[in-house]
Amino acid sequence: MADEKRTPSPIDRAWDFFISVKLAIVTLIVLAVTSILGTIIEQNQPPEKYHQIYEDWAFALMDRLNLFDMYHSVWFLLLLVLFTVNLTCCTIDRFPRMLRVVRNPRTKLEGSLEKSLSLSDRWKRKGTLPEWAGKYAAALSASFAKPKVSEDGGEVHLYAETGVASRFGVYVTHLSIIIIFIGAIVGNVFGFKGNVNVPEGEAVTQVPVRGGTRMQDLGFTVRCNAFSLETYPSGQPKAYKSDLSVIDGGREVLRKTIVVNDPLQYKGIWFYQSSYGEAGGATAHVAVARKDGTPVRMLALAANEPVPVEGYGIIRGVNYERNFQGSGPALQVVVEKPGQPSASFWLVQGRPDLDRRRADSLVFTFGGLSSKMFTGLQVAKDPGVNIVWLGCALMVIGLIMAFFLSHQRVWVRLARGTDGRVEVVLAGSASRNRIAFEKRFEKLQTGVKAAGQ
Amino acid sequence: MSNVILFNLTTFLFGVASALYLGALYARNDKIAGAGTWVCVLAAVVSTAALGVRWYESYQMGIGRIPVTNLYESLVFFAWSVNLFYLVVERKYRNRTFGAFVMPIAFFTMVFAVYNDSSIQPLVPALQSYWLHAHVITCFVGYAAFAVSAGVAVMYLLKARQENAKISEGVVGLLPPTKTLDDLVYRAIIWGFPFLTVGIITGAAWANYAWGTYWSWDPKETWSLIVWLVYALFLHARVTRGWHGRRAAIISIVGFLATIMCYLGVNLVLSGLHSYGGG
Repeated sequence: MADEKRTPSPIDRAWDFFISVKLAIVTLIVLAVTSILGTIIEQNQPPEKYHQIYEDWAFALMDRLNLFDMYHSVWFLLLLVLFTVNLTCCTIDRFPRMLRVVRNPRTKLEGSLEKSLSLSDRWKRKGTLPEWAGKYAAALSASFAKPKVSEDGGEVHLYAETGVASRFGVYVTHLSIIIIFIGAIVGNVFGFKGNVNVPEGEAVTQVPVRGGTRMQDLGFTVRCNAFSLETYPSGQPKAYKSDLSVIDGGREVLRKTIVVNDPLQYKGIWFYQSSYGEAGGATAHVAVARKDGTPVRMLALAANEPVPVEGYGIIRGVNYERNFQGSGPALQVVVEKPGQPSASFWLVQGRPDLDRRRADSLVFTFGGLSSKMFTGLQVAKDPGVNIVWLGCALMVIGLIMAFFLSHQRVWVRLARGTDGRVEVVLAGSASRNRIAFEKRFEKLQTGVKAAGQ
Repeated sequence: MSNVILFNLTTFLFGVASALYLGALYARNDKIAGAGTWVCVLAAVVSTAALGVRWYESYQMGIGRIPVTNLYESLVFFAWSVNLFYLVVERKYRNRTFGAFVMPIAFFTMVFAVYNDSSIQPLVPALQSYWLHAHVITCFVGYAAFAVSAGVAVMYLLKARQENAKISEGVVGLLPPTKTLDDLVYRAIIWGFPFLTVGIITGAAWANYAWGTYWSWDPKETWSLIVWLVYALFLHARVTRGWHGRRAAIISIVGFLATIMCYLGVNLVLSGLHSYGGG
């Protein structure tokens, strides 16, 4: 560090700037206040929307300041960098000092140290120094921690400590923030996020990356076998389900039905159920049976698409009505038999009896309309996410160490008094929660004093 | 619904407890405050039963879910947490004057809840997750701790003003010494801060599991970060720069205002992923 006699160099001054807690406090305030802006101004909306809300000059100014995507703006990122640099410098500056103090604790209760401690007691005993030192060491071991014994100039010092980990809590917490940022950077550089809509029965091998025009190759194929929507009796959505298959190297390697909160993962790429919709093109289901009721086959009719029925003719679904002449949903079909003019008639859903009246060789039953759905998948690869979770775990551990542990230290000094008796001084201190320590110290005091009596 | 009747009874009990604590301050009578404590204990029992009954009733309706998923439920859960946290503080500090400043927070929260839709609605798919339990419970314990801290901070400011004027009469004279109050402002925050941190982390973990993004700067997330930053500021200012007393009390109150904004303001004023604001 800077030599006291020299005027500080610019580097020293820069260092002093970055290690100050004042800077940390200012950065915390600025981060908190600027973060509010992005919650008031809706982020990442189309420009037309902003033009409706703001005057032209205000729009230009806000656009200039990147306020419409402020959390990804250069100035906000710079604030986060400043925050991190400050945090790192503070740690580099203070950690070695703290480590020195922890490694070389003041094991001797000198006069100056004794005066600085608010909790202390003194008494006298008849006997020898080693005898009492042994007794008090045993008493401390039993009710506090095993003490370190040292001799110096005819005095014997005992020193014991607990909860030294609490001194590291703040560094663990600060380190955890840096680790979380590293995880976030790794995820942003080496990962991707995208959205893709997959119609039922179709497959994708690449997805468009969010916020760009790039397509990301998956390296395998994902097929949507089916999509279904479950509702509560009240009609509110209960579950969106997509039956997905992963096809790699020409064969199906994984199949899973995903719902919201239960994604599919393959080769580090995650597929999340995110939205759904109609893929367009409804299909009408028609059951075909003989006059006596023996079923022949099921037909799936796409709009206006001719479907041949063996030994009968060609059938097309041409029209649909939600409520046909008050009888409910119905399908209009056109039948072309070889050598006959085409006939058109309506099939009311679930009413084969009505179709029997046509007295044809086959009876048709309309089973209903189903529309083809697509599933909207969120696709993400984030190799940094586990680093982020590591950071989060460390943060919780660090906070618990910092707030709920206390570095408690106890000293005993034994010296030969002028009257030939052993003069004993007991003193203690705690890094935090002093009220609780006072109670513990009182107990310790009684216990140690009573030892060997 | 029987759970709503029990919650209404809870509201009434919180009101009675607040009145008793305030009355005890004015009458300078600790016996009245003692009655307040028993009302709080009763309210704790009733509100816990109400949560249990509501949970059970949701199963009977074929929905079956923890009762912390819409605005009404989150308000009653917040009031429940504040009441419990307060009882712990009262027991630990052996002083009943806190009740006059903390229990009204629980009472007005319940009054606000009564004006919201109390029906049990099924869970939308996004909320169907075990993360919901960990996320909501940790956040609300944090919020409750911050509420207690802010209530005590108000007591500190009143008491400090009187100590400066060197008078010890009246209601304020009964409050604990400023040293105790200052300590409690800090102590409640060191409980609240780790809980809020775990609340934010479980929220991020859940978001990552549901959407593949652990942080998307949605207004709720951002406000929770703002709250976190304010209390981080409190801790740094206090530990390294010795901000005690008045300044610490003011940051605690600012922190709680930010908490209210995060909890309610975002849903009522802004838009975002946390759906219960619409409830």
